[in-house]
Amino acid sequence: MKEQWRLLQTGFNTAFSNMAVDRAILVVNSEGKVPPTVRFYGWKPPAISIGYFQSLTDEINLDACKKLGVDYVRRITGGGAVFHDKELTYSIVISETHPAIPKNILKSYGRICNALIQGLTHLGISSTYSPINDILVNGKKISGNAQTRKERTVLQHGTILLDVDVDTMFSLLKVPNEKIKDKLIQDVKQRVTSLHYVLGKKIRFEEVAEALKVGFEEEFHVELIQGILTKEEKTLAAQFEKECFSTTHWNHRR
Amino acid sequence: MRSQSIYKVPQGKLLKISVEYDGKNNIIRDIRITGDFFAYPEEAIELMETKLRNVLIEREQLLEKIRTIISEYNIQFIGIDAEGLTQGIMMCKL
Repeated sequence: MKEQWRLLQTGFNTAFSNMAVDRAILVVNSEGKVPPTVRFYGWKPPAISIGYFQSLTDEINLDACKKLGVDYVRRITGGGAVFHDKELTYSIVISETHPAIPKNILKSYGRICNALIQGLTHLGISSTYSPINDILVNGKKISGNAQTRKERTVLQHGTILLDVDVDTMFSLLKVPNEKIKDKLIQDVKQRVTSLHYVLGKKIRFEEVAEALKVGFEEEFHVELIQGILTKEEKTLAAQFEKECFSTTHWNHRR
Repeated sequence: MRSQSIYKVPQGKLLKISVEYDGKNNIIRDIRITGDFFAYPEEAIELMETKLRNVLIEREQLLEKIRTIISEYNIQFIGIDAEGLTQGIMMCKL
C-alpha cells in the first residue's frame, strides 16, 4: 500500500495568513502530529513576499503597494521578492529524515521541484529544474521555490505562474538602479513566462492544482489524501499571523 | 562612515551589504547583510553580522574570519559563499 500524505486546499487568503499556515504546519509536523503535507493556495489580496534576508524598504515600494491594495510580508524562507497575483502557490512540509528527502539541501530542492515538473507534464508542458531554485519552460522561468529547515523538518514553498504582469510587478518592486529600469523590465519579460502564455489559453487554478497533486503522487510514490488543518494548526496559525507575519516588527526587521 | 555595496555572486545570488565603519582604522562598527540568497539556519545571518563587528576591513582577515564563523556554527549558504561575502564587504570600503 502506498504511503498516505495529507493534501490541503486552503483557498485564497491574505499574505499574513498564508505564511502563518505554512509555519504552523511546519511546527505541528515537526512534533509528529500530522503526516507529510502538500498544500495548494492563493493570495487575496495580491501580495509581495520577500525573502527572510531581504530589506523590506530596499525591495518594495510601500506607497505603490498601498495605492494598489497589495499586501506585503516577510517569509521565513530565503530567496527573492515575489509578486503573488495570478498564480498557484504550493507548500510541502516533511521530516528531514523522511527517505524521500535528500539530506543535501540543493538536491532536495531538485527532488521537490521534480514533483512540479511531473505535474506540469499533465498539462502537456515540458519543463526543467534550473538550480538553485527555479523551474523553466522553454528556458523561461515559470516557478520559483524557497526552502527552510527547522526542527529537522523541511518546508518548501513556491509558485507556478498562471499569468504574469511584469509592468505592475515593477511598479511595486524597487530596482537597484532606476536608470536601467526600462531595460530591466524588458529583460524580465524575456526571462519569465506563465501557463497562460505557454498554453495559449487561460487555465483554472483548480486544473493546475489537480495536475500538481498527481505530480507529487507520482514523484514521491504516495497517495495524497484531502484533509483539513487540525485545531492545533489553526490556533498556531492565528497566533503566528497576529504576533509575527502581520507585524511591523517582523516585516521591517531587515 | 556608512557605505553600501551590491554584488552579484558568480553563479549565485545578489548580495547587498551595508557597513558602518571607522574611517580612520577601517574597523567594522556595524554590518547588515541582505539579499535573495539562502542560509541554513536562517538565524545564522544575524550571528554573522554580530561576529563581524570590530573586524578589520581587509580581504584576508575577513575571509579567514567568515570561514571560521561558517565552520564553527555549521552554517550552510546557498547562492553566496565566504568569498562572495568578503568581496561584498571589500566593495563597501571607499
